[in-house]
Amino acid sequence: MPQWKLLDELLMDAEALKELSLMVKLQSDWVKRRASGLFIDPFLVEVKIKLLGKEELASALLAAWRPLIAAEQLTPKRLSEALEYWRVLLPLSQRMKELEAAQFPEEKTLSVSELIKLKFLSERAFNEEVRKLQEELAEASKGGPLDYWKFVIRDTYEETLLRAYALSFIISNGHADLIINPVEETIMIEMSGKQMQKKGGKSVPISINYEKWMAMRNPKDRTEGIKNE
Amino acid sequence: MSEDVTISRKLKKAAQLLLFQHHRLPGAKGWELRKVLGKDYMKIIKLLERRLEELGLEIKIVYEDGLDHQTPTDEDLEQARFYVICKSPLQIGEASLSGWRIDTLAVLAAALAYITSKQGRATRREVEDLLREKFPDWKIDQDLNRFIRRGYLDEDEEGNLYIGWRTRAEIDRKTLVSIIAGSSPQPQQP
Repeated sequence: MPQWKLLDELLMDAEALKELSLMVKLQSDWVKRRASGLFIDPFLVEVKIKLLGKEELASALLAAWRPLIAAEQLTPKRLSEALEYWRVLLPLSQRMKELEAAQFPEEKTLSVSELIKLKFLSERAFNEEVRKLQEELAEASKGGPLDYWKFVIRDTYEETLLRAYALSFIISNGHADLIINPVEETIMIEMSGKQMQKKGGKSVPISINYEKWMAMRNPKDRTEGIKNE
Repeated sequence: MSEDVTISRKLKKAAQLLLFQHHRLPGAKGWELRKVLGKDYMKIIKLLERRLEELGLEIKIVYEDGLDHQTPTDEDLEQARFYVICKSPLQIGEASLSGWRIDTLAVLAAALAYITSKQGRATRREVEDLLREKFPDWKIDQDLNRFIRRGYLDEDEEGNLYIGWRTRAEIDRKTLVSIIAGSSPQPQQP
């Protein structure tokens, strides 16, 4: 058993040595990078970039720019591959049939973060939309709580959906509160005094579809729409 | 086969490897050159460099770690990528011929200098905020995407921007940052 203890100690020593060598390597890389002349105060560079004109920035780049020379080419091998590809390529009409026969992937719902990642939606544009709506809500709710549907419904279905979606973000972020009256079946909205993220709040689903939007565009029908919720 | 003929054949082969694009990226890796030209490939590269010099070109070696190596090891050279680049920097007139507008050059200069000063990594948001002082949003977005496509910048899934392979090959970042940091802005014309 004493030998086992020795082995454990040796293993621990080896591990410590490995960690130390890793630290020395990282320090060495750090010193190399600093010594390579690429270390400069980011704040200084930022200030200079802000002060310089477009022409001066362009001139700086040109003084440091030596373009790469390369030619794209076709080789006999690639040409023969292309010929073989063309030979086995099916007519378009036949390929279209195969495509139609192929099973389409199942529909799925994309979240805002996924749309942003796919560059379909700009995060900045969406945040700007939320900010504008928040300002509009603050202005409109100065006289007291507002009817949710009156605030959300607009002339186009798309705009209505966008407002409802952006409003849900404002509420989730704690900038606004929903006042739900289950007896009268009304939903009111008011600005919240605090600017904090809500924690442990409950979620309230409010559904909207095209038929409901059509019905609610007419203020007379709005009350009925809410009653039918 | 005489030695002269062998060297001449290897020179042609080296020029083909470096000048014609074989993969996704132009140029060739050190190990590819060694495989085709033999273990003394660096001697052939030096000879080719002398020939290219007459045409105003030179061979640039970009090491895998992105740093300069004064005395590279065989391993460093084998993992490095070799490119042919212009020996002298471009002039403004030449730049306009390559389809780049002054505005675009300025965006690239600012983005590269900023990312370099941040040790080679900055968030896209930070770069956009910096550029927004001088350029409209649509141009910033369009230009940054163009630089990513052309290999001047890299972007990861978390929205961080890095120095791209083409920048490492074409742009002397030390010179760029030194010029920008050491410059004094010209007074604006009334």
